[in-house]
Amino acid sequence: MNPSASLVSVRDLRVVHQRAGFGPVRHVVAVDGISFDIARGDTLALVGESGSGKTSAARALLRLIETAGGSISYDGIDLLALRGEQLRVHRKRMQVVFQDPYSSLNPRHSVGMIVGEGLVVHGLAHGADVEQRVVQLLEEVGLGADDLQRLPRELSGGQRQRVAIARALAVDPEFLVLDEAVSALDVTTQAQVLALIARLRDSRKLTCLFIAHNLAVVQQVATNIAVMYRGRIVEQAPAAQLFAQPSHAYTRALLDAVPAGDPRQRRIRTPTAAT
Amino acid sequence: MTPLLSVESLRVAYGSPAGERRAVDDVSFSINPGEIVALVGESGSGKSSVGLATMGILPDNARVGPGSAIRFEGRDLLTLPEPAMRDLRGRRMAMVFQDPAAALNPVMRVGDQVAEVALVHGERDKRKARDTAIDMLTRVGLPDAATQFRAWPHELSGGMRQRVMLAIALLLKPALVIADEPTSALDVTIQAQVLRLLVELQREFGMAVLFITHDLGVVAETCDRALVMQRGRLVESASVDALFHAPQHPYTRELLAAMPRLDRAP
Repeated sequence: MNPSASLVSVRDLRVVHQRAGFGPVRHVVAVDGISFDIARGDTLALVGESGSGKTSAARALLRLIETAGGSISYDGIDLLALRGEQLRVHRKRMQVVFQDPYSSLNPRHSVGMIVGEGLVVHGLAHGADVEQRVVQLLEEVGLGADDLQRLPRELSGGQRQRVAIARALAVDPEFLVLDEAVSALDVTTQAQVLALIARLRDSRKLTCLFIAHNLAVVQQVATNIAVMYRGRIVEQAPAAQLFAQPSHAYTRALLDAVPAGDPRQRRIRTPTAAT
Repeated sequence: MTPLLSVESLRVAYGSPAGERRAVDDVSFSINPGEIVALVGESGSGKSSVGLATMGILPDNARVGPGSAIRFEGRDLLTLPEPAMRDLRGRRMAMVFQDPAAALNPVMRVGDQVAEVALVHGERDKRKARDTAIDMLTRVGLPDAATQFRAWPHELSGGMRQRVMLAIALLLKPALVIADEPTSALDVTIQAQVLRLLVELQREFGMAVLFITHDLGVVAETCDRALVMQRGRLVESASVDALFHAPQHPYTRELLAAMPRLDRAP
C-alpha cells in the first residue's frame, strides 16, 4: 500500500484501562499494539467479539480516550500531539456514529437542534442558513423538514440513527467512524441504514472505519477487514480475500459461527443427527 | 397427534395513560410435542407478549382479550388459578430469557438457583436437589460444575450464565421450553455453542421449544417450523424449508431479503 495515499495510519497503538473497585486498581490491556492504514475513500472494518478491543481502538483514534503507546497519523498530522484549539478544529474532519442513538442524542433537543449544533459550534452556518442547511442534511439521510421539531423519543430506531448520521455529516467530515452503528436495529431497518451509509460514503467520498461484530454485515460495506481478538489484530486482508481464504483460525471460527441462512445448509442442527 | 400447546385467537393489549395499545391481535397456532417452532418478528411485533402470556407472566397493565385461549396439556392456562400455574412453571413449562444477567438473582449462588427449582417443586432432600443441580450444570457444559455450583452470577461469562439459565429451565425436564432471544446478547461464536447445546438437549429430553427470535439465520439453523409476526398479527406459518425457499407473505420476503448473509464463494 502506498503510505502517502493513507488518510489514517495507526502504529503499535496501545490502550490500557484502569479498573477501580474493591482491592487494588487493575490494569486491563484493551488494545495491545495494533497497526493499520486506511486509504482515502476506503472502508476498513474492524471486527471482533465483545472485549476484543475494537471500540477502545476506535475511541483512541477519535481522541475520546487516552492512549498508552503507539502513534496515529492523520493526513500526515501527528494526531496524538494535538491539543486544545488545534484538536477542536481537527474534530470537524472526523465524526462518529454510535450504536445506540437513544443514548447518544440529547432527549430534550429537537432534531433540528441536534443536527444544527455542529454547524453553529464550528461556525459553518449562521442565522437562517442553519435551518436551511439542516433540512438539506435531513433530506440527504431520508428525513425531511417535517422532522425538525420532533424529539428523539418520537422517532423510530432507524430514524434516530439517520439523525445521528445527519449530525455527523453536518460538519462535512472526510472521515467517519461507525461504531456498531447498525447493530441495534431490526433487520429490515438495518439493511436500509447500511444502504444509506454505502450511498453517502460514495456520494461524499468518505473514508470510513466500521466497527462491527458481525462479519455478514461488514461484507457489504468493507474494502478491507481487520479481525481483532483479545486486543490484537490477528488477520488483516482485503474483504474479498478474507472471506474466500481466511488464514487465521479465529477468523475461520468467526465465519463458521455465522448462520448460513438456509435450512438446507444447516450446521448446528444437522439432518443426520436430528433423528 | 394432539398438540402440546395450542394458542387460540390470542389478543393482548397494554394499557397506558394514553390509551390501550394492541400488542397481539388474534394469533392462533399450535406446537406438537418435541417440535422446535420459531416465532419470528421484529421489535414491537408482539412475539414476546405471546411467550409471556403462555407462561402467565404478563405485566400488570396487560389485558388478555375475551375469546382468547391457551391450551397446554389439556388445560386452558388463561383460566387456571395462579397456584396451578405456579406448579406448571418450572415443572411442565419453562422460559429462558435474552439477558441471563437480569434473569439470574445476583445475590444467590448459581447452583442454589438451579437446585431451588427442585426444592420448589416438592424435593425435600436438599442434598438430592444439589446433586441433581450439579448433574444438570455438568450436562449444560459448565466446567467443573461441583465447584462452579458456588459461583455468583457476576463471576460467569455471558455464555456460561445462559448455560445456567438452561440448567434451571431443563432441570425437571419440562414438556415445553419458551426461549425468548436466548442467544441474541451473545457473541456469534458463543451463540453457536449455546444453540448447539440447546438442540442437543432438545434431542435428548424430547421437549418442545418455542423459539422467539428476530434472527432468521438462527431459525434456519435450529427450527422445524416458523411463525412470522408483524404488528401483532401472524402473517405466515410454514415449515422452515418452505419459509426460506417459498415465502408467501411480502413481509416474510422482506425479512429474508434484509437478512445479512455471508457470501463465501471464492
